[in-house]
Amino acid sequence: MGINGIVKGLGITLKHFIETYWVDIKYKGKRYGTESGIEDRKSFDTKGIFTVQYPEEKIKVPEAFRYIPFLVYDEGELGEKEIRCTSCGICAKVCPPQCIWITRSVNPETGKPVPKPAKFFIDVDICMNCGLCAEFCPFEAIRMDHDYEIANIDRFAHHIYDLDKLLKPASYYAEIRPTQFKEEEDARKEKEAKKAAARAAKQT
Amino acid sequence: MQSEKINKPDINIPPELQSQVAVTTLDRIYNWSRASSLWPMMFGLACCAIEMIITAASRVDFSRFGMEVMRPSPRQADVMIVSGTVTKKMVPQIVRLFNQMGEPKYVVAMGACASGGGPFKEGYNVVSGIDKFLPVDVYIPGCPPTPQALLHGLLVLQKKIEKEKLTDAEWYKKDFHEEIPIPILGPDLLDPRKFHLFKKELETTTEEFLIESDAKGEEA
Repeated sequence: MGINGIVKGLGITLKHFIETYWVDIKYKGKRYGTESGIEDRKSFDTKGIFTVQYPEEKIKVPEAFRYIPFLVYDEGELGEKEIRCTSCGICAKVCPPQCIWITRSVNPETGKPVPKPAKFFIDVDICMNCGLCAEFCPFEAIRMDHDYEIANIDRFAHHIYDLDKLLKPASYYAEIRPTQFKEEEDARKEKEAKKAAARAAKQT
Repeated sequence: MQSEKINKPDINIPPELQSQVAVTTLDRIYNWSRASSLWPMMFGLACCAIEMIITAASRVDFSRFGMEVMRPSPRQADVMIVSGTVTKKMVPQIVRLFNQMGEPKYVVAMGACASGGGPFKEGYNVVSGIDKFLPVDVYIPGCPPTPQALLHGLLVLQKKIEKEKLTDAEWYKKDFHEEIPIPILGPDLLDPRKFHLFKKELETTTEEFLIESDAKGEEA
């Protein structure tokens, strides 16, 4: 019957209504503007209805949240950037709106291609945040970002991202996507261990 | 926070008077009042419009920045949020709404489709970026941008307004001729200025078509 649905819906509304006041009573009016209150409001299992005071406090985004891709680089021992990208071009091929441009760098002495990107551009105003580039990348070099505050007043000056803007350290990646990062690191270590074992077996 | 923004022209007010007296410049108070009462126009085009509705609703609530009154009439609106895919059929209407807005007016391109065409940038029926037709002030990437990203974009617009100067404002000048953009689409597309030609063509073709179909009907 339709009435059951109406009653159920009204029940949910009533639950939200009561919870809003219940949480306010529980925090004794200190839910707004205090550290613990803001922490509670940011968490995923927060209850009740409230307004997020946006520039001061922000809703936490889930780990799988996707916005504009970025390039991961590993920090070397001397602080140099070891770019994971090998400029294979798979991301540019799978990108549905075709917003990625890559140029492979060339060794100036021999003229042979080097597996590093010379230029890497993403037009963030075209990107549709589908995450296919991150899924297809065989080197775990391109990943989806969490930073959504990138609105700007000029499209071509600010919204064509080059290598400088796209490169972010692996530590940042580990921070925003801890579960995925851990999975990938474990898989990589396992692979390396297997390789080492195979090499050892060959030598003996 | 807001009073700090107005009260800044290097004049030392004695501390006992600071809560009662404010000294400001005309530019600053003008920009402050305009930036904190941006009324967006109430129209949505695609999925980005849903995010815009969420931004207006209670959780992220842009009325905290003086944007609560979404005006359905372009005459009363200050900012046009182009929220979604702009099809070639829709462009003439959007440009017309923009032309009907009073100065000062601002355009926010929300989402990938409005700013650059997005996944449809080479499509046969979608405009690759509203900036080909309107002067866009803020571009918000995302597909669609989250409510907070839209709010960030609107705050960027507020910052842009706060940097304007009354003396530079074109719309107060004597010889100001408002530029009225007219959408010119590609050759295979609708050009509203040639509408009478289309109509003529349509009349002749439909007549022919009717005759043809009649002839076919007789044969059958």
